Amino acid sequence: MKLPKDKTAIVTRHNKVVYDCGDTVAKVFNATKPSSDIVNEALNLTRAEQAGIDVPELVEVGKSGNNWAILTKKVEGKTLRQLMNEEPEKTEEYIRQLIELELSVHAHKAPLMNRQKDKYIRMIADASDIITEAQRYELLMRLDGMPNHTKLCHGDFVPSNIIVREDESVCICDWAHATQGNGGADCAITYLHLQLNGENDLAESYLRLYCELQGCSVSYVQGWMSIVAAAELARGRVAEHDYLLSMVDVVDYV
Amino acid sequence: MSEETKTVFDDGPALVVRSDEELTEKLALMREAQAKFATYTQEQVDKIFYEAAMAANKARIPLAEMAVEETGMGVLEDKVIKNHYASEYIYNAYKHTKTCGVIEEDVAGGIKRVAEPIGVIGAVIPTTNPTSTAIFKCLIALKTRNAIMISPHPRAKKCTAEAARVVLDAAVAAGAPEHIIGWIEALSLENTNTLMAESDIILATGGPGMVKAAYSSGTPALGVGAGNTPVIIDDTANVVNAVNSIIHSKTFDNGMICASEQSVTVVGDEAYAQAKAEFERRGCYFLKGDELDKVRKTIIINGRLNAKIVGQKAATIAGLAGVEVPESTKVLIGEVESVDISEEFAHEKLSPVLALYKAADFDEAIAKAERLVADGGYGHTSSLYIDVREADKIQRHYEAMKTCRILINTPSSHGGIGDLYNFQLAPSLTLGCGSWGGNSVSENVGVKHLINIKTVAERRENMLWFRTPEKVYFKKGCMSVALAELGTMGKKRAFIVTDQFLYKSGFTKSIEEQLDKMGIVHSSFWDVEPDPKLHNAQEGVKQLKAFEPDTIIAVGGGSAMDAAKIMWLMYEHPEAAFEDMAMDFMDIRKRIFEYPELGSQCYFVAIPTSSGTGSEVTPFAIITEAESGVKWPLADYALMPNMAIVDTDNMMSQPKGLTSASGVDVLTHALEAYVSIMASDYTNPLALEAGRLVFTYLARAYDNPDDVEARDHMANASCLAGMAFANAFLGVNHSMAHKLGAFHHIPHGWANAVILTRVMRYNAAERPTKMGTFSQYQKPQAKERYARFARYCGFTGANDDEVFENFIVGIEELKAHVGVKPTIKDFGVDEQYFLDTLDDMSKQAFNDQCTGANPRYPLISEIRELYLDAYYDRPASSYED
Repeated sequence: MKLPKDKTAIVTRHNKVVYDCGDTVAKVFNATKPSSDIVNEALNLTRAEQAGIDVPELVEVGKSGNNWAILTKKVEGKTLRQLMNEEPEKTEEYIRQLIELELSVHAHKAPLMNRQKDKYIRMIADASDIITEAQRYELLMRLDGMPNHTKLCHGDFVPSNIIVREDESVCICDWAHATQGNGGADCAITYLHLQLNGENDLAESYLRLYCELQGCSVSYVQGWMSIVAAAELARGRVAEHDYLLSMVDVVDYV
Repeated sequence: MSEETKTVFDDGPALVVRSDEELTEKLALMREAQAKFATYTQEQVDKIFYEAAMAANKARIPLAEMAVEETGMGVLEDKVIKNHYASEYIYNAYKHTKTCGVIEEDVAGGIKRVAEPIGVIGAVIPTTNPTSTAIFKCLIALKTRNAIMISPHPRAKKCTAEAARVVLDAAVAAGAPEHIIGWIEALSLENTNTLMAESDIILATGGPGMVKAAYSSGTPALGVGAGNTPVIIDDTANVVNAVNSIIHSKTFDNGMICASEQSVTVVGDEAYAQAKAEFERRGCYFLKGDELDKVRKTIIINGRLNAKIVGQKAATIAGLAGVEVPESTKVLIGEVESVDISEEFAHEKLSPVLALYKAADFDEAIAKAERLVADGGYGHTSSLYIDVREADKIQRHYEAMKTCRILINTPSSHGGIGDLYNFQLAPSLTLGCGSWGGNSVSENVGVKHLINIKTVAERRENMLWFRTPEKVYFKKGCMSVALAELGTMGKKRAFIVTDQFLYKSGFTKSIEEQLDKMGIVHSSFWDVEPDPKLHNAQEGVKQLKAFEPDTIIAVGGGSAMDAAKIMWLMYEHPEAAFEDMAMDFMDIRKRIFEYPELGSQCYFVAIPTSSGTGSEVTPFAIITEAESGVKWPLADYALMPNMAIVDTDNMMSQPKGLTSASGVDVLTHALEAYVSIMASDYTNPLALEAGRLVFTYLARAYDNPDDVEARDHMANASCLAGMAFANAFLGVNHSMAHKLGAFHHIPHGWANAVILTRVMRYNAAERPTKMGTFSQYQKPQAKERYARFARYCGFTGANDDEVFENFIVGIEELKAHVGVKPTIKDFGVDEQYFLDTLDDMSKQAFNDQCTGANPRYPLISEIRELYLDAYYDRPASSYED
């Protein structure tokens, strides 16, 4: 894959850089990132598209130098995050839009997508250096008891992953964490990300509105919080370690 | 294996699972041990149970020390009590309980219950009671000859394993097989799921996730879940005692018993103030200002209980929240208002933290408790402090609570586990929460839940009976003597029921004269139609009501007697519904509708004027609703007359047709009663003699209506057959005849006779399609019985078959002699109409009340064929299956 010289970095994370390449956007991963992760992300993207969701069109998966990269067509527009920043008075409206969009994704099926529970079991089991045996046992038992659903879950449904085009149509990016499973977990992730972003009030109003629109109890979604927090810990979120750990260390019954 | 999963014990006789791979293999060894244990006698088991309980009891302090040290939760001295309780109380409760082999036997009833072990128990044990629950589950497993594989909580696995080891070592020393108890050290989701899938029953004590996993494993499970015990202190309660009970219970093992109080709602300002003062006086701390919020955020994180506060003392929890309280603080109390789950204090807290609510009245308190139970403790426990004389409030409370234990004036931690504050509540450390909590049991779990009970039921014959009117008077001219008894009995008002013909021809006159002589006032109802109609009876009841008699005298054939019986019933019990009373029964003793007793107002005298129905001695009556044509056949011993007067003088004027029809009806009664599945030594002689009398005297009575001797014997034959079928019932011949009457108006006796020999041949089949169901009826035997009946009536032959054939010929000859037409067609039944109604008739005949006692259980199609045969005079088939 050859990227243009005049590309500009839009986002830089610890394991990837996202470039604007004119007509396309390239997500270039660190060399340490396993190739299977990159292929899986591209596969998720295409499966979401196949399921009928508006996503950036995949152009190419390949190597840019030593690094694996995913090239997609650029979607013109502003992210929901940008819109919220620009028009803080309309935050409530944007949050509602976010939730409605999230629920519309959940209404889709993607039977070939990885299973959410398997993914969490793996992540929690692998986090033995961070989470104690007793905590892992509690988490795994709790996870095992969670209802098995087959909703398409984005896994990182945050305002910055939603692009609103000028014609107000909406495109959903970044399908790296997508699975099929329980929508409550997806909601818990969004809540957690808003919390970690310091937007406590926004997180609370998001959670309440989500539950209202979905028709579930807050407690039901809260049941996922410790699990998604553990998964975040397993991803190596060092900065929020203590906060996440406090969320993990809860019991239903001991 | 990580460092923390390494055992500190030698395995000894225990099975210790140290990896995911080992579990299946060790369960196989455990099964071998259990198979051996399953052969142990009650004596061997009781010795093991004793020694194991003793050993656990001896180790109660070191086990409690280990539990506190390992888990960092709870109170040593309280854990000692729990271990003591788990060994002593459980032993005491079950020491005499039979759990091996025959545990119950009723020789007379022929029933035996045999206890068998279930096999391998998969036990999940929590951190809250890690040693006491292990002792409890191991002891009840041993008592029931089961093996038990324990999955401890990782936070408490050493002490749980040690408790199991103590019990196992003692059990093995007392003779139990090795490997009968084991535990998992390598705790993983995989192992827990394998254990749940591979064990024979799961005893899971854990949270909702655990309970759900248990129930979805496919293995039968006794799982229990979380509680959220709400307490109400009513304004009638002894508030001081209530508060002290709550403190006692809430501080027990730092609030870790799942039945422990989580919230207290006090009814009324005065009681609230009193409760608050008492809580404070006894060392509880009321959180003030922002302290409340600090504790809220500490105890609950994202709607879930913070693991760090579980089983900690009040001061430690306050410290975690940044609130300073005296070190000796007993309970942290938050005065809160919301019972919604969003209120942290409304949750189960498993620690000495308590919510305190105020309610304006008792109803508000119940509403709060209901909500608290719904959000966190469905099925578990609730508690009420109240003056026990407030029965109405107590009832309202227990009706509202969806909890399986409702404790009155009782500390709930100690109260819920049983046998400490109420000695009828089974002691247990596994408290079933019913379907509300996703459980299969709603009571405290005990040994009975760990055995399979095999019921060995021997065939028994059910009690039979012989019921007849208390007085049956007979012989020519007996009526006046018999009626004189009414005077002796002090009867004052008699009501005569008869039909127009008998009334007009002066039949009742002699009765009236007799009554006049005794000074008994009388009135008559003489409007009974043949096949009595409901509106007749209703009309009669009006007159009965107006007249208010103490005696009803029914005079006539079946119609008058049936109508009188029904009027009797409607008069004494106007509320009784015909539809319910007419419902068919399989066993008259087990019928759904319970008949009212008759006789409270009227004595019932039946005087037959024909020799046929036997209604004077039967508990049957049939009435027709004129408009709809619906027939209500009623059958119950309540309808049995009190006195029957069989006087030949009343029979002399029967016309020939009636003599014929009622005569063959008698024969059918006798035959059907004799081959009925309910025929008995008491009814058989009556049926036989009735049959013999018919063969001897019917032709004579028919040929010469004035033959007094023949009339006399036919009157007796009718009454004898009536007594036989009043107790042995009839059969499909009557079922079919009823429908020939209803659809084609063939007189009842002839309707019976026209199909009689075909039905006999059908019943006599050696290979009937289906046999009648009744415990007394052992095998198809109708042919043998017909032959015996025939021999009694004078028929002979080399064997049963020959006798039977000769009997059939004899019956046909008798029928012909008394003018019974040979086929249904001959009764003038239109062919097309017959065929059009055939299916309905067959189905209705099948469904007739008489069908149930038939020796052969008929198929509808077979009834249909019998009808066709009897219509077209088709040659008799063998009617074998």
